[in-house]
Amino acid sequence: MEKINIICVDDEREVLESVSRDLDYFSDMFNIEECESAFECLALLEEFDAQQEYVALIISDHIMPEKSGVELLTEVAMDNRFLGTKKLLLTGLATQADTIEAINNAKLDNFLEKVWDPKQLLQMVKELLTEYIIEKGIDYEEYIEKLDAPTLYRLLK
Amino acid sequence: MLKRNLKYTLPILLPLIVLLLPADSFALDGLTLVEQRVIAIFVMATLCWVLEPIPIYATSVLIIVLELLLISDNGLWFATNSAPEQQGQLLSQTAIMATFASPIIMLFLGGFFLALAATKYRLDINLARVLLRPFGYNPKYVMLGIMLITAVFSMFMSNTATTAMMLSILTPVLALFAAEDLGKVAFALSVPVAANIGGIATPIGTPPNAVALKYLVNENSISFAEWMSIGVPFVVVMLFIAWLLLIKLFPTSTQQIDLNIEGIFLKTPKAWLVYGTFLLTILLWLMGNLHGMSSYVVAMLPVAIFSIFNIINKEDLKNIPWDVLWLVSGGIALGLALDKTGLAAHVVDAIPFNNFHPLLLIVGASMLCLLMANFMSNTATANLLLPLVATLGASMHSLLPYGGQVVLILSVTFSASLGMSLPVSTPPNALAYASGHIETKQMAKIGIIIGIIGISVAFAMLFIMNKAHFIG
Repeated sequence: MEKINIICVDDEREVLESVSRDLDYFSDMFNIEECESAFECLALLEEFDAQQEYVALIISDHIMPEKSGVELLTEVAMDNRFLGTKKLLLTGLATQADTIEAINNAKLDNFLEKVWDPKQLLQMVKELLTEYIIEKGIDYEEYIEKLDAPTLYRLLK
Repeated sequence: MLKRNLKYTLPILLPLIVLLLPADSFALDGLTLVEQRVIAIFVMATLCWVLEPIPIYATSVLIIVLELLLISDNGLWFATNSAPEQQGQLLSQTAIMATFASPIIMLFLGGFFLALAATKYRLDINLARVLLRPFGYNPKYVMLGIMLITAVFSMFMSNTATTAMMLSILTPVLALFAAEDLGKVAFALSVPVAANIGGIATPIGTPPNAVALKYLVNENSISFAEWMSIGVPFVVVMLFIAWLLLIKLFPTSTQQIDLNIEGIFLKTPKAWLVYGTFLLTILLWLMGNLHGMSSYVVAMLPVAIFSIFNIINKEDLKNIPWDVLWLVSGGIALGLALDKTGLAAHVVDAIPFNNFHPLLLIVGASMLCLLMANFMSNTATANLLLPLVATLGASMHSLLPYGGQVVLILSVTFSASLGMSLPVSTPPNALAYASGHIETKQMAKIGIIIGIIGISVAFAMLFIMNKAHFIG
């Protein structure tokens, strides 16, 4: 079984923990990492790249000191090594300008507002993971129980 | 932990032991070195296909490479320079490598091109829309319609792709069913069941059929049309039985069901070319006697036409399931080694099969195949059993009144496709299971019943066909 990572980025410890808790459903098959800043996330990405591990999804908060979530995700979107990595922005305080920038530059896959519905987050992550696995050509059968069936059917036909 | 390691150590250790044993420790007189190596490769293949330490197509590649190294005329130095009488018959390297491009592989390639083009130009979904219309809104008949269409598609497309397509049509409808309505289960099960059964109808329907074609040669050879004239009636009967079973076992309380499939037929010149080529290829396959082209030759036509007109471009080429082609190639190579080194005949001679009743043999081999196919890949099952079964069939004269080798091969091949009682049995089952509407228990119930009825129907049908001098 391939090692597939999900990275959560937020400068607030409690938010980070609550995202992780909501994603616990995936933890037996996917590796869930927590980062408290964009720099920590970039360092982790370097490490995963060196180990040739898959980074399926980055869930990031927008407003963080030093480097914002949109800046982080834009950087990832421009990096050839992480082509296909899904990007989810989780934010409560985005201005319209931020949103436009996020969609245009960071090529966001999904946008979720704080406070989120855990069920909705779970469903979103399921769909994004399914897309990632099929697009990357990873053997989906091993992960089938954690994937989103309708998305799987759509991509397989 | 130990169990996890066994998966990796057994496929290495047991074949090594077989290789290192002295030749007289096998109960076979005059076993040559080459034959002993083929036994080792066969043991390795069996263990790798059953335990799956590596992907199943990788096992096939490994078989071919090991054959090239150990039993080919251009293999490793120590493998080729023993005394001739001890060494036995080496295979030519070209013959082993040619299994990657055997006519049967090309037949499948043609099938893949057709399927790819049909999906790309939305022929499949549009046909489904039109064909489903006459079945109305009564859940029972909608399900019958879905099963018929799934079966027809899986005759020419991969069972997995067909299942994915039909389930994606069904998903929005299944969401509307009440939580406790068993009808949901029936619908979700109807698709993989129909896809598994449908594949039996044509030589290109499912990989085990390709493996069987390899052994239906010379006086036993079967044309595309002949296969279909046995396969289609079988599929029709089985679909009907499966449908009855599903509505009996999982009755629905929903009164009406409305499948809403969007889209219109594409009308571009390329789309028309796809429709035309599809029709032409199938017609040529069915009329083999008139034009003299074998089904293998016909299969190359869509490959050429779609490539020339850029209907399948180089990006699409990457989407061809090459692993399936390799998986079948490995089986052909394994069969080749068993046959050409004389090992299969040697083994069959050593066991007094002629004392067994031929019917017992047909039933036994088919049941074994069905059992194996439930737990492992259908293709791998066919790859392992068919070379032995074919040799057995050729050597047993008592089989002749019952249709000989052909009946034995066909019933074992059909059995391979009837293994569908578990989510792991076939990819269509895994996909349907992922829908979350089915419990393993429910899948097992319908799968076991269909497996057993299927085998009986196959026997009955082959018996009748043989009596009517249709085959043999």
